Amino acid sequence: MDNPNHGQTCRRCGLASSTIVRSEPLCQVCFVKYVSTKTVKRLETFAVRHSEPDKERRLLLPLSMGVSSLTLLHILQGHLNRQIERTGRTGFSLHVVFVDCSIIDDAAPTVVSLRTVQERFPGPIYSTVRLEDIFKTQDHGHGETEPNDGSATAKLFALFSALPSPTSRIDVASNILTRLVVDVALSSSCEAVLWGDSTTRLAEKTLSETAKGRGFSLPWQIGDGSTPFGLAFHYPLRDLLKKELVAHASIVSPPLEPLVNISSSPAHQVAVSAKNTTIDFLMKQYFESVEENYPSIVANVVRTATKLETSTSTPERRCRLCKMPITEDLLGIHGWGGDETDAVPSSGAELGHGLCYGCTRSVPVEAIDLLPT
Amino acid sequence: MAPSPCALCHTNRALILRPKNHQKLCKPCFINTFEAEIHHIITANKLFHRGERIAIGASGGKDSTVLASVLKTLNERYDYGVELVLLSIDEGIKGYRDDSLETVKRNAQQYNMPLTILGYSELYGWTMDQVVEQVGKKGNCTYCGVFRRQALDRGAAKLGVQHVVTGHNADDVAETVLMNLLRGDLPRLSRTTSIVTSTPSAVANAESGVPNHTNIKRSKPLKYAYEKEIVLYAHHKQLDYFSTECIYSPEAFRGSARALIKNLERVRPSAILDVVKSGEDMARLIPGSDERCGTGGCATNTTEEAGGCGSSQGRSTGGEMADMEKRLQQNDNAADHGLEVEITTMKTPRKKNAPKKATHASTQVPRKAVNQTMGQCTRCGYLSSQNVCKACTLLEGLNKSRPKASIGQVDAEDDETSTSHLSNTMNQVGISGD
Ligand SMILES: [Zn+2]
Ligand SMILES: [Zn+2]
Ligand SMILES: [Zn+2]
Ligand SMILES: [Zn+2]
Repeated sequence: MDNPNHGQTCRRCGLASSTIVRSEPLCQVCFVKYVSTKTVKRLETFAVRHSEPDKERRLLLPLSMGVSSLTLLHILQGHLNRQIERTGRTGFSLHVVFVDCSIIDDAAPTVVSLRTVQERFPGPIYSTVRLEDIFKTQDHGHGETEPNDGSATAKLFALFSALPSPTSRIDVASNILTRLVVDVALSSSCEAVLWGDSTTRLAEKTLSETAKGRGFSLPWQIGDGSTPFGLAFHYPLRDLLKKELVAHASIVSPPLEPLVNISSSPAHQVAVSAKNTTIDFLMKQYFESVEENYPSIVANVVRTATKLETSTSTPERRCRLCKMPITEDLLGIHGWGGDETDAVPSSGAELGHGLCYGCTRSVPVEAIDLLPT
Repeated sequence: MAPSPCALCHTNRALILRPKNHQKLCKPCFINTFEAEIHHIITANKLFHRGERIAIGASGGKDSTVLASVLKTLNERYDYGVELVLLSIDEGIKGYRDDSLETVKRNAQQYNMPLTILGYSELYGWTMDQVVEQVGKKGNCTYCGVFRRQALDRGAAKLGVQHVVTGHNADDVAETVLMNLLRGDLPRLSRTTSIVTSTPSAVANAESGVPNHTNIKRSKPLKYAYEKEIVLYAHHKQLDYFSTECIYSPEAFRGSARALIKNLERVRPSAILDVVKSGEDMARLIPGSDERCGTGGCATNTTEEAGGCGSSQGRSTGGEMADMEKRLQQNDNAADHGLEVEITTMKTPRKKNAPKKATHASTQVPRKAVNQTMGQCTRCGYLSSQNVCKACTLLEGLNKSRPKASIGQVDAEDDETSTSHLSNTMNQVGISGD
């Protein structure tokens, strides 16, 4: 990306170029514009002309302090500013939620880093939830979280210590995170969540969810539009590679880099040993290498997976952990072709646990009662 | 550390850590469990029916050897009442099959099963050596792959057998699921996940009573068996198989997928099965899957050496990814500049000799692939998305130029030309494999 490419000129304006995007050389100004345009284009439905002046549309941006969600915040702030300049109003109002995962990850960013972000981007309304809040019954929506009474923390610890592997822990954590974000969105009347996933991240997710036995729920996990959660998910950075976002973060001024917390990706966890590696980390490594030379192949994986249609039958049941709609044959790990035991398909106990195939793999029987409701 | 007892019989000492779920088992319990699981798959999916003649696609490798051994055991133990025969394909590459075919011949005696070896020359009129001589060393992989895909079906038809079982295992299926996601090929993903495949013309051809290669049923009884367990089973049953790995590197997408599967298995042993499960579930979410599902008579890789190829001198590892990247980028650029996106499904890569449609499977543009509907080849009736299937297209090209070859078009870099020409002539006279 940061190849100087002496002598090449920007494909768009003819100035000296400094960055290669896919195959085209671009100057810094045009590159920043490219990143912004690719993102804003994805938000057509939230343009000013689609909003009524008296009815505010609210969108929620979950912030992990990683380069992608910070970039999305940066672009949206600029986009809203331009809307104000041009029309005197905005197409939507932006809410930002920061999910504090420091309880399970010492290196995770905390509320302290959020303040720096707030100073830099004062526009949106900010709130924070903690991972352990999933065990609190009240809604997680309104700004300040009340002081922790300890029981939620204890419950989260109990759950995580009952999970057998780093892969399980990360998997459960990211499912809890999604649910918390949805709770915040619903309780603050946001109509959609704008996730910061890049193309690269979506490709990682496609393969890691496939590897975790959640192929059935992929359409809800990577597509733009309505979800079983009762609100829409959008991925405005879906046309941008991770490496493009990284380059962009150092080019914009002031740079976003100082705000970025390197450990905030859920797949973070440096592989000390093969045993501690996670499925998410494997896929992250894989696509970061594919991205180097074959960016279009990364994009094509996402495009392909996005073609999968949501199941036509709309089952009543929801998985107890990931909350995805499941038919009976998706409950548990028994009762499908690959179940080679003569055990009764979907035994009563398994039906009662109410976990989908993928969640059953992550949560051992002993830990099921420790799950949030 | 005290030796742990077997998790199933609680009596014997556990000697085997089951790769699939890390259960500690004694040898007899492992053997029993492995066989019981295959039996369960066969009965749960009603793969066989009494009186059926079934050809086992046998290569002498571990998968097909274990398949033959297990099927013989189960057929006797549970009285399936099926007749099992071995069918081997000889691509006609000098020296390549010698050892593995010897193994298959021994297996035939060990299991007391009739064996038929059919050569490409009998099935297509061309051995791979002849094809190499004709088209050069580059690009012959295309021929080998395309011919191989139909070889077992054509072979079974010659034997009058309507059902072929292959040794594809869970690792193969999981690998193919990931590979097709990487290549953006959903229809193929869908087809490889089903345990039984047969061509849509099965009904139409049934009247004649004579099986031809367009209505052969294919199934994969080892679809959920882990490769590592197959190796363990072969080891503990002391089966006689040809253990040399295919020496040719798989194409880049498959190689990538294979490496991922191995790593995934290390992180979470159930992951192989979980990928297969995801693949089966995703197959149902593919647009238009209802018409296609289950009938796509095309296990895409019909031999055990799924990605390998007998004579791949010209194979360029990584080339497939680079080719696809380039094509996708061209499409993107065209779309960006508002041009009509021309979908160049059958765009011919650099090879001059190859007939127009001789592209590698991975060159299909995914966008098109999703909408492609499976029909039949008008020449041979084989399942095909084109009017004329790839094998027939390739054969047409070969046959057109055959006279030229006999005049002696010599490939300069091929110093074996004279000997291989001699063997070609002999092949044409007709070498019966048996
Ligand atoms: Zn420029
Ligand atoms: Zn679930
Ligand atoms: Zn035992
Ligand atoms: Zn044909």
